[in-house]
Amino acid sequence: MTSFTGRWTPFLYIAPLVVLAGGLLYYSIGFAAYASLTDWNGLTSMDFVGLANYVELFRDRTFYIALRNTAVFMVGSVLLQAVLGLLVAVIAKERIAGSNFFKAVFFLPIAMAPAIIATVFKFMLEGNYGSVNQTLRTLGLLGEGENIQWLGAELGVLSIIVIGVFSWMGFSMMVYFAGLMSIPDDLYEAAELDGAGWWRRLFSITIPSLRGTTSVLITLGIVGSLKTFDIVWLTTQGGPGVSTNLLSTFLYQERQNREAGYSSAIGMVILVAAFLLAVVQIRLSNREK
Amino acid sequence: MRTTKLAPLVAMYAVIGGLALLWLYPIGVALFESFAVGGWGNYAAVLDHDTFDYWSAIGNSFLLAGGTTAAIVVFASLAAYAFSRMRFAGKTVLYRALLACLAIPVASVITPLFTTIDDFGLRNNYLGVIIPLFAFNVVVMLLLMKNHFDGIPTELVEAATIDGASPLGIFWRIFLPLSGPALATISVLSFVYSWNEYLLPNLLISEPGMYPVTQAVALLQNERMSQEQIGQLYAGLILMTIPSVFVYLFSQRYLQSGITAGAVKN
Repeated sequence: MTSFTGRWTPFLYIAPLVVLAGGLLYYSIGFAAYASLTDWNGLTSMDFVGLANYVELFRDRTFYIALRNTAVFMVGSVLLQAVLGLLVAVIAKERIAGSNFFKAVFFLPIAMAPAIIATVFKFMLEGNYGSVNQTLRTLGLLGEGENIQWLGAELGVLSIIVIGVFSWMGFSMMVYFAGLMSIPDDLYEAAELDGAGWWRRLFSITIPSLRGTTSVLITLGIVGSLKTFDIVWLTTQGGPGVSTNLLSTFLYQERQNREAGYSSAIGMVILVAAFLLAVVQIRLSNREK
Repeated sequence: MRTTKLAPLVAMYAVIGGLALLWLYPIGVALFESFAVGGWGNYAAVLDHDTFDYWSAIGNSFLLAGGTTAAIVVFASLAAYAFSRMRFAGKTVLYRALLACLAIPVASVITPLFTTIDDFGLRNNYLGVIIPLFAFNVVVMLLLMKNHFDGIPTELVEAATIDGASPLGIFWRIFLPLSGPALATISVLSFVYSWNEYLLPNLLISEPGMYPVTQAVALLQNERMSQEQIGQLYAGLILMTIPSVFVYLFSQRYLQSGITAGAVKN
């Protein structure tokens, strides 16, 4: 390891990044932590109210709806992305004709703006004239005059999971694909000689070898779920009512209602959840190793 | 080389082909609907629209994404060089504190960001969006660059040091020339991530003429849309996706390897 003289030189190299990124982000967290202890509309002066916002939050029905939806979204999208990503990666690795085409199709949404994807889904999933219901009617799976409210109170969160999986499954696929490349071929050859079938090889070699990859994807999925905002805001806006709110859209609504102190308290809950879940997940996966 | 038997092959195509159809369905719908009522006229109408200016939205996105990318490439590689090759007080703590920022959801700090940017008088100013975009995206690029720099052999640096090269000289003449693909990767990632961002511009830009594409989508919508307007909306969405598709086609390799590396080395 080479080291340069000049005690302050290194700080010149890192200063812009540390100040603009680290400084701004940690300052914002501190600011949010303080704001969460105040009654504040976001514009005029802040009134210190102690933990009142948190007390109110833990009594707020909407908070529990948003919390449950966030949990459902998190578990649903992490699971589906892992299962589908692994499946597609395993098949693509068999070097079947067209596997590069398939990989490109699944990866394409990652390059597209979630705002645009969300808008396409919003109109596609619309209850009366949306293309999904029209397609189902054409296929005879839905009667004339029948509608499925894909973005309604019952199915909204599931549809948002679908949009999330559409957007990010290609990511799990690529990460699994990279992981598959590092499993030595002779493991499979030996298993095949022993007469292990495709499923047996999948469950006894592939999945255990990819444990590290899976746990990285779970960590990123957990944090990613807490970051999810646009695909909800631009489809259901958390509605109808508050039924499809995630924590992030609930926070945004409260901010729009000029409840900056209260919405900062929601922000702190999201932040603590992101850090705690990430740390717990990383600890758990380190212990397994 | 294993030979795959027919039955499993059919099963594999059924699974992957079925999924690919599901993935192509929304794109197919958007294309079909953009022509269904109004045909090419929808595209003409979107390019000559009262409230929505396609070229300005694209230009605005380019400014935001380009500015953020430039700042990230310069400052992430400088900082990565220091974190990789220099010794200084608090290095590990600082680096870990920066990496922890990867877990911060944008939504959780929008109120402080809004107030801070407003205090600096940078609302409705691209610099006011580029700074937070930089803050939220630079850390993963720092991680990628540092991992890359860590792999550059020490012997090269030692030889140059003996020849009397300064730290900045070594960065410029040894590290950067060996980092073409890594720099391309972080450029593409920064560009795509900032281009796709919605929440930050939506928070900090309220002037419709300044909207990047992600915000401009709203300009094509209203409460009661006619079939024709929906056709125009889809046409607009497709037109606004074209730059992303181009970036994707020309940089697929960097995008895929970068995104994967960011995950694996976390």
